[in-house]
Amino acid sequence: MALKSTHGPFDGSMSIVYECPTCSMQTAMLTNRAETQMVRSLGVKIGGRTAPEEPMETLRSNLASGQEVSPERPAPSTGGKCPFTGMVNDAIGAAESEPEKPVWTEGALARIEAIPGYIQPMVKRNVENFALEHGCFEIDEDVMDAVRGRLGI
Amino acid sequence: MSGKGGVGKSTVTACLADGLTRLGVSTGVLDADLNGPCMARMMGVKDHKPSSQNGAMIAARNAYGVPVMSMDMFLPEDETPLVWEAPSQQGAYTWRSMVEMSALRELLSDTDWGDLDVLLIDLPPGAERFQNLADLLPDLTGAVVVSTASQTAMTVVSRSISMALNIAEVEVVGLVENMSTMVCPECGYKDRVFIGVETVEELARRHGVPYLGAIPFNVGLADFLETGRSYIEMHAEHPAAHAILEVAQRVHFWLKNQSK
Repeated sequence: MALKSTHGPFDGSMSIVYECPTCSMQTAMLTNRAETQMVRSLGVKIGGRTAPEEPMETLRSNLASGQEVSPERPAPSTGGKCPFTGMVNDAIGAAESEPEKPVWTEGALARIEAIPGYIQPMVKRNVENFALEHGCFEIDEDVMDAVRGRLGI
Repeated sequence: MSGKGGVGKSTVTACLADGLTRLGVSTGVLDADLNGPCMARMMGVKDHKPSSQNGAMIAARNAYGVPVMSMDMFLPEDETPLVWEAPSQQGAYTWRSMVEMSALRELLSDTDWGDLDVLLIDLPPGAERFQNLADLLPDLTGAVVVSTASQTAMTVVSRSISMALNIAEVEVVGLVENMSTMVCPECGYKDRVFIGVETVEELARRHGVPYLGAIPFNVGLADFLETGRSYIEMHAEHPAAHAILEVAQRVHFWLKNQSK
């Protein structure tokens, strides 16, 4: 079976499609969101690591609102041996390090600023994810209204 | 440890660090309460900003050089709750305890503690927290158990002592009675804060563990600790200072016997 494509990650899970080189039969594998997060919670770098470990790396990179602004990012998995875990790690890493950022309107930003400062980064990120999932590249007050029920803003 | 919340574990930890330091024991403090961290504040190092050097995180040090590490130092504001980054918080119960154990392991092992004789680990409420810690640290020397004389607290503490002795198989250094008595600031009349059918000393005897002493209730103690100064040094004549020092001396004695 040859790796054909990956989709996602969406909301923490992704699919990887394999294809038979002779008959073109395709098989898809879906990563489980909770299990993937559980493995990453243990500090495991899926697909292997190439950069040296930083002190308190798991703690700092897993904090949603931490004192240190720049969390450690997973290293590229070029050193990994397994193509499956390598692709998962590359896809998750790419999604985390190169996010497609929608543009915020002033009205939407004003609403974000009205909520407590410590949860602003998390809410902002969730709204951006919501917008991207729904094909919105500008976050205005209509998008905020749409997401209101889901996030309780 | 205690198992019960609100008995003054963190206060006793800070006091014990003070007492042991007075006795010349090189002591460090690790705050293992990730969700309700307060040891940085209680040790007077709340404003310490975490930084690393030579591959290790630098511990905060109070005025007496006691190294302290706490999750408090990694959270930007007092109001900031501990939330772990994840694509979704849905189903977080499946992995939250794992990331917390990883974080605790890192707070412990990735900190440059310097040369220590003793590391005090302040645990959050919940008997299972001690078992988790014992799993993480198989060579844990012993547990100092804190209780008030409240019968409700003692019931929970009794279970925690059983857990430490029989399940985690860790020695109990002894039982500290906190908020034992209250002294009238006007006339000096002393009275018990909690009265029940069993005393903390009797509870210790029932489990066959040492009774380390009783620290009287003191309105200003916790606030004073936040200054980072030694209560024993600054309030040497206060009964609480005597009590703290006595508890520290008994813990020191126990440790010395262990190392023989």
